[in-house]
Amino acid sequence: MYKFFFIALIITSGFFFFEISAANKAYITNQGDDTVSLINLDKLEIEKKIKVGQKPLGITILKKKSIAVVGNIESQNLSIIDMKTNTVIRSITLDATPLGLTHNLDESEIYVTDWFNNEVIIISSSTLQIIEKIKVGQTPSGIVFNKKHSQIIISNRDADTIEIYSEKTRELIKVLPVGKHPYGISTYGDYIYTANVYDDSISIVDINSWKKIDIFVGHHPYNIIQEDHYLFVTNSLDDNISVIDLNTLKEEQKIATGETPENLWVDQINNKLIVTNWGSDSITIIDLKNFKDTREIKSGLQNRAFGDFIVN
Amino acid sequence: MKKFLFLLVTLLASFQIYAHGPTPQKVQETITINASVEKVWAVVKDFCNIQKWHPAVEKTTCEKKGGDTFRTLVISSGETVYEKLRSVDEDLLKLKFEIMESPNPFTDFNSYLIVTKGANDNEASVQWTARFYRLYKLNPPIPEGQDDATAKAAAQAIVDSGLAGLKKMLEAK
Repeated sequence: MYKFFFIALIITSGFFFFEISAANKAYITNQGDDTVSLINLDKLEIEKKIKVGQKPLGITILKKKSIAVVGNIESQNLSIIDMKTNTVIRSITLDATPLGLTHNLDESEIYVTDWFNNEVIIISSSTLQIIEKIKVGQTPSGIVFNKKHSQIIISNRDADTIEIYSEKTRELIKVLPVGKHPYGISTYGDYIYTANVYDDSISIVDINSWKKIDIFVGHHPYNIIQEDHYLFVTNSLDDNISVIDLNTLKEEQKIATGETPENLWVDQINNKLIVTNWGSDSITIIDLKNFKDTREIKSGLQNRAFGDFIVN
Repeated sequence: MKKFLFLLVTLLASFQIYAHGPTPQKVQETITINASVEKVWAVVKDFCNIQKWHPAVEKTTCEKKGGDTFRTLVISSGETVYEKLRSVDEDLLKLKFEIMESPNPFTDFNSYLIVTKGANDNEASVQWTARFYRLYKLNPPIPEGQDDATAKAAAQAIVDSGLAGLKKMLEAK
């Protein structure tokens, strides 16, 4: 739908096309050299490397606010990148280890899982101050926001659970067991998906009934996303991704990636899946038209990009 | 001498498997060997004979469990390392294995070796990549010997001495 709208706009306005395509970028955290690679997704070229804090892992992009928020594991802070100038405009001290990052629908709040203190830290995107901390279960890792149900959802890696919190009241709505060692998590509509690292499986949870099913994938699945009626799962130690058809709940195929694929997101404009490969310091670009035509380009040392790392 | 320093550190290390901390460590080294790619790959993929080229390995014992292959290494210190063969890719010339149990000061050690053709028919490159985590999983302060630097030094020593040993063995007349 959005795509047709976009096409209509580019036909009527060349200037507008330039504006949009200029924003078609990936911000990929590199734990090997404490930078973020800014990648132009149309040209598949690195435009800039932006120095951030130490050992950056998580990222979330607030498009309307034009900022990218990066979580630095070692320096225990957040780096705020202004996406107009692509420079770090602010660093927020946390006294915590930021793992996963996300934001709510209107982009007023940023959510960060704090691995060591078992909290979710809530930051105002306008003041860039911490407004609240919610106590959560053990080892909070991945974090996502469900737009339909206005829920903050986290994976508790060492507790083998997910927890669902209300955006408004901050109350814990539900704790649910999933597979062993859930790390990457995503949500869309009425569903939550987790990648269960030690089980070589994924869990699919229905938010309305809290029913759950597990599907086996490859070795050490790390993260998972839904696009159209497919799930894509990075099998980090098999150097490929699993493609699962949501109509049949079966693995349809595996697609080869670079070494140690970890995180993934969709470039909606070019209809491509972007996978970050920690082992080969690269990203793999997979055409979603036919799941073929894959390309691999170097990105940065030990690139991670745990979160929504693309702005379209 | 330096390359076996890590064995000393391991005396204090725990054997227990815990969940790991958040930052994976990486060692990635490449060496050029004056031998054909076929000859180098034949040695690299011979999972049950690593003692032929790795100077820290005294003896290798292989066993099959179902479809999986495991090897037990007796290393220079007399301790043992238990490893699982993950895959052998004949197209990419890539061997993957995982350390299941070891006295080393790291955990979740996954590793692969890739052989590629060099500048001429009598030259090949071997790249060895290892991904692992430090031993200590909890809040800082991190006890001495269980930190990232210790884990990395140990893995670095294994990879460096291994690649040097591989070159030495394959280039021996």
